[in-house]
Amino acid sequence: CDNLLEPTPAQQLPADKAITDAGSARAAAIGAYDQVQAYYRLNWPVLGFLPGENVRFNGTLNQFLQIDQNQLSADNVLITEAWTQMYQAVNSANNLIAALPGISDPLLPAAEKNQLLGEVHFLRALVYFDLGRGWGGVPLVLTPTRTKENGQGLRRSTLAQTYDQVLADLTQAETLLPDGATRNRAVKATARALRARLHLYRQQWAPAETYATQVIASSNYRLVTPYRAFSTAPFLSQESVFELSFSNSDANTMWNNWFPSALGGQFNFQPVPAAIAQLNDPAVGGTRSALLASTVIAGANVTYGNLYSRSAQRDDPSYVLRLAEQYLIRAEARARLGKLTDAIADLNAVRARAGLSPTAATTADQLLLAIENERKIEFAFESDRWFDLVRSGRAGEVLGVTDQRRWLFPIPFNDLVADRDLEQNPGY
Amino acid sequence: GATITSYAQSESGPQVSGTVTDASSHTPLPGVTVMAKGSSAGTTTDANGQFTLPVSAGSALIFSYVGYAKKEVQAGSTPLAIDLAPDLQQLSEVVVTGYSEQNRKTLTSAISSVKGDALKDIPAASPDQLLQGKAPGVQVSANSGVPGGGIFIRIRGSNSVNASNDPLYVVDGVFINNTNLIATGLGNQVSANPLADLNPQDIESIEILKDANATAIYGSRGANGVVLITTKRGKAGDKTSITFNTYHALSKAAKQYNLVTGPELAALENERFLNDGGNPAQLPFRSAAAGGRGLPEEQQTYDRLSDVFRTAQTHSYELSAAGGSAKTQFYIGAGYFSQESIARPSAFNRFSLRVNLDNSVTDKLRIGTSTALARTHRNVSSNDNNPVGVINSALFPRTNLPIYNPDGSYAKYGSFDNHLALINNLNNDAVGTRVISNVYGQYALLKNLTLRSSWSIDFNDMYENNFNNTLILAGQPRGTASSFLSRDITLLNEQTLNYNVNFGENHSLQALVGNTLQQNTFQRTSLAGQQFPGNDLTTIASAATQTGSSSRSQAGLVSFFGKATYSFKERYTADVSVRADASSRFGADNRWGYFPAVGLGWRLGEESFVQDLNIFQELKLRGSIGRTGNQAGISDFASLGLVQGGANYLDLPGTAPLQLANPNLSWESTQQWNVGLDAAVLQNHLVLELNYYDKYTSGLLLNVPVPRKTGFSSVVENFGAVSNKGIEVQLTANWLPKTTAVQWSTSFNVARNVNKIEKLAAPITTGSRDIFRLEEGAPLYSFWLYKQTGVSRENGDAQYEDVNGDGRITVADRKLVGNAWPNYFGGVTNSVNYKGLDFGFTLNFEQGAKIMNMNRFFLVHGGTQSNIGYLSEQLQRWQKPGDVTDIPRLTSVASSNNYGGVVQNLSDRYLEDGSFLRVRTLTLGYSLPKETIASVHLSSLRVYVQAANLFTFTPYSGLDPEVNSQSGVSNTKNFDWATVPQPRTVQVGVTVGL
Repeated sequence: CDNLLEPTPAQQLPADKAITDAGSARAAAIGAYDQVQAYYRLNWPVLGFLPGENVRFNGTLNQFLQIDQNQLSADNVLITEAWTQMYQAVNSANNLIAALPGISDPLLPAAEKNQLLGEVHFLRALVYFDLGRGWGGVPLVLTPTRTKENGQGLRRSTLAQTYDQVLADLTQAETLLPDGATRNRAVKATARALRARLHLYRQQWAPAETYATQVIASSNYRLVTPYRAFSTAPFLSQESVFELSFSNSDANTMWNNWFPSALGGQFNFQPVPAAIAQLNDPAVGGTRSALLASTVIAGANVTYGNLYSRSAQRDDPSYVLRLAEQYLIRAEARARLGKLTDAIADLNAVRARAGLSPTAATTADQLLLAIENERKIEFAFESDRWFDLVRSGRAGEVLGVTDQRRWLFPIPFNDLVADRDLEQNPGY
Repeated sequence: GATITSYAQSESGPQVSGTVTDASSHTPLPGVTVMAKGSSAGTTTDANGQFTLPVSAGSALIFSYVGYAKKEVQAGSTPLAIDLAPDLQQLSEVVVTGYSEQNRKTLTSAISSVKGDALKDIPAASPDQLLQGKAPGVQVSANSGVPGGGIFIRIRGSNSVNASNDPLYVVDGVFINNTNLIATGLGNQVSANPLADLNPQDIESIEILKDANATAIYGSRGANGVVLITTKRGKAGDKTSITFNTYHALSKAAKQYNLVTGPELAALENERFLNDGGNPAQLPFRSAAAGGRGLPEEQQTYDRLSDVFRTAQTHSYELSAAGGSAKTQFYIGAGYFSQESIARPSAFNRFSLRVNLDNSVTDKLRIGTSTALARTHRNVSSNDNNPVGVINSALFPRTNLPIYNPDGSYAKYGSFDNHLALINNLNNDAVGTRVISNVYGQYALLKNLTLRSSWSIDFNDMYENNFNNTLILAGQPRGTASSFLSRDITLLNEQTLNYNVNFGENHSLQALVGNTLQQNTFQRTSLAGQQFPGNDLTTIASAATQTGSSSRSQAGLVSFFGKATYSFKERYTADVSVRADASSRFGADNRWGYFPAVGLGWRLGEESFVQDLNIFQELKLRGSIGRTGNQAGISDFASLGLVQGGANYLDLPGTAPLQLANPNLSWESTQQWNVGLDAAVLQNHLVLELNYYDKYTSGLLLNVPVPRKTGFSSVVENFGAVSNKGIEVQLTANWLPKTTAVQWSTSFNVARNVNKIEKLAAPITTGSRDIFRLEEGAPLYSFWLYKQTGVSRENGDAQYEDVNGDGRITVADRKLVGNAWPNYFGGVTNSVNYKGLDFGFTLNFEQGAKIMNMNRFFLVHGGTQSNIGYLSEQLQRWQKPGDVTDIPRLTSVASSNNYGGVVQNLSDRYLEDGSFLRVRTLTLGYSLPKETIASVHLSSLRVYVQAANLFTFTPYSGLDPEVNSQSGVSNTKNFDWATVPQPRTVQVGVTVGL
């Protein structure tokens, strides 16, 4: 009877025996990457570009249409999914952060132990940073969940507290991580690059400049030419500071959302005519016109987004941190700090790579607008435009989303019901 | 009658002996009670129907046996030969109950029986579908018209939220699996019904056990009711009877979607453009010379739907032989059934074989088997929630767009595939292999005490091979293929000890104890390939990239059970039963569950004060109460906190938390009481059965939502409660005396079930777009939508109920606006026989269920969906001040909330009344006179024509009110999204007896 009544799971492990030695610690770190990859595969890029004005939703699913039209409601299933995935990634990171110090395995040298710990601190920082810029202050869970009672009474923190936690994790990560030029796992420079972005979002211009400079100064990174090179197989270009790699067995099918059905896609995300015009304008898009491709369907020319294009290999990465952004972060920080010449140089570095003439901006205000517009084109199909405009307070002016309460995503309705500690963002 | 022959008295005193046989088949009847009238002497017949009783010749003997008319015989000289005639009265039929049989007279439970005759010849693949409208309180509806596809079946409502609500199926004592094994993603539809592996023609009877007294003997698996399927067995007779049965049918969709024409579409688009503030000079459909797409009236209309829907064929052939000697009886049958879907290219076929054998090795030992083998083949294709489904690809693209590109290639629009590309290239095969087999040995330890041991296997295997070539979207960019091998095996061992005794004339006792051991193993291996050299090399071996995976899971169940029925004068009956089950799915401390039940029956009709009324031929009151359990539908390791592999990155192995532990996890428990009344009046012309039940299920195995900040979204807990209360009525009228040439009977049943979620931790939303929501106090399958109060006559904008009164429409204004439960449902069966002619019809109906018509949701979109066409209903939109309609003006502006915005088109204007009354079958048959066919050496010949689903009366605007396109998603029902409707079928058939 005992055999009959106590079968052993063949493909799962008891949670308390999951992280005990070198092998299982490595696997848990990989698992944390996998969960960050999960929300960056589709949901996070979509929440970054679709509320902006470059891309329209051309499919049938209302949850995307709501995002496109800046009409989110709290029952939007994509919002719910992203929120869920992000906290899953946090829990994975928390598990390893809690277990690693207790592991003494001769096969896990101190250096590797530090590296793994640094990596999950970085990943947790990334998730909380994204949660913060998406929803504002969120509950800060820092210990692994064992029972559903864990975290009871934990309310939303403020945005400042959330960003403080991001900073704490990044500081830890920077200490623990090795130097190096790995681009799809975190190294010191990865933490610094995210830190530069964090300071930019917090309008801490001097440290933003400092940290961006540390990355830009590293010989491991450079702007690659032509523009398309960073998104060309085998990827992991020198421009990449952090990208999430995919492979055929761990596939990214983002291309399917961009390609027209004649090419086997669903054409859900369609560049709008204005964006097509800008990308194709030699004075604005330059070589970034390579983000577009076209094909003839029923006698008509159809233009589509081509950033994700590996339909057979399905190994398009998700782009998280690129050197071009570090230049633009520093340009903006310097413009704010009154270092206009340096700022212009940084902006021009990005423009030159795209085959454009130097910027005509001369005043700080002109320059800030030029940087904002440069980001719109440079990261046209990446997760940036919406957060950029919200950060600068210009989402109302540029996108017409005048109700500032709509600048934050709604907390998923279902989670509000399940979690008494949670409070909805105003306006939803 | 008794034959009296010469008799030599034995030395040991007076004795009477003899043999009891069935009057029609002459099979020996074991277990017949033989009593000497007026004395306590009595015995039962042995396995060969023989008995010896120490009474003197001339005594009056009374022979009684379940299902046979009681007989009194004056014992002359022995051996006696006694023929017992089956009791034709409906109320004394034999009913198969859990692990035994019982006379309906002494039954205290609520059990519906459907005889095989009532099921045969209906052109449906699986036997459960045949129960539709036949048994009160049993709600059966096909999820779609795809042959061999899933069936929604609920006995007395739904008890559970997360665990399964399907009944337990027991075929000749084998607990069978009814989990769909098809792994190919086909939208949200359950693609296969494992019961379609059974050939309906092999079935002798189906018993549906409904109340706790009937189901508690099945303990933890009985809560959702139990369907006992008994297959045909041979009877001893002079002659082996061979039957050949065949029918051929043509099916069509009874209704078609009504789409706008090309010109109408263009006019709608122009109107939308203007409503959105577009420049009148820039209308999308203006003359081509002005840079437009041509004037509306210049637009073509392309009909895609006619390519998809076809006249489909069904063929059925079945050959069986039954017979046997006094020692060995057999039934062997072979069948072939093939059915095309009315929507191309799906099809189903089945080869089935059955061997049922029984042999009396000695007087005391009997052995036998029930063994069935089936091979099914499904050509499957996706529909419903899938833009590359066949119906979707024909229904959704705009009607003004050509089917082919100018170069002759398939034209594809938006996210949709080309329907002809799919029809011509879909290549998804699912081949099922099923063995359901049982062998038993039965030994009479004592005269009244029998030990039975049986060993069973349910082996269910599904092998799928899919290849998508480059002509369809799923095959992009260079061909894709997948293959799945899934295997679900149940092993079962069971012992029962049966004790049957009559004390004197008035007391009878039936008792049994038993145990079962059960093990279920599920395994799946899957392979995928991408990038093929061409469209002709279709196996994964040819693919450039090959990936694979496998999974395995196992569960065990250990049970002990017992039951006893005591009856006094067949007037007062008491039942008691209990089962103890231990399941591997729960924590060690909560592993065992105990499921007791009692039932009481009182045949008032036997009391003199009722008999004096001279109204009732039968009047019986029944009552029962008991508890059953449920553990189906949760994962095999649901109680454990687990971390799972497969969370890979950079092609390195990774692990990630999977689920939270719940060591307290235990059984879902259903308490049910039932009161019933059976009555026969007007010389048995009118027979009534009434039941009222009240079920309360607590400790639901629920995915209780947990705060997502924990990194989990839910945990399986015993939390929450659901109740079902209802009434069932069955009325059978035999309009004419048994003696007239015309025989006419009608059976009518109706049931009402009220389902309510009594307790829930937090509301749970489910299904596409969270359209379904579970809330405390509301029934399951409730629709959560915005309530549209009207369309403004002044500006044409939709108006919604502002539920919380805050002056704006937000998600807080979504509310439960109805549910998918019918208020009443039931059926009518009518049959008329005159000489060789038979005429019959069956109806079934449901009243009051709501259906979410997603076809309208998508295709009445007001211009928000640039890749989707319109149903004609869109033409009813508001156009100018004063218009009265519930279809708002065309616009894609989000802030209007007309079709998009916060409301996301989730308006209850797409929620419809799904009531229907359907003429399920209409049959006219003729059996040739025996004399006519005797000359060609046939023993019987019947020819018939039948129409199925000839008429459906319904206010529902979709193709078919019997729809459940999200059957793969729990807690959803009545969701209509590009689903294959139930076909209208005409068939001819012939049954030949040799």
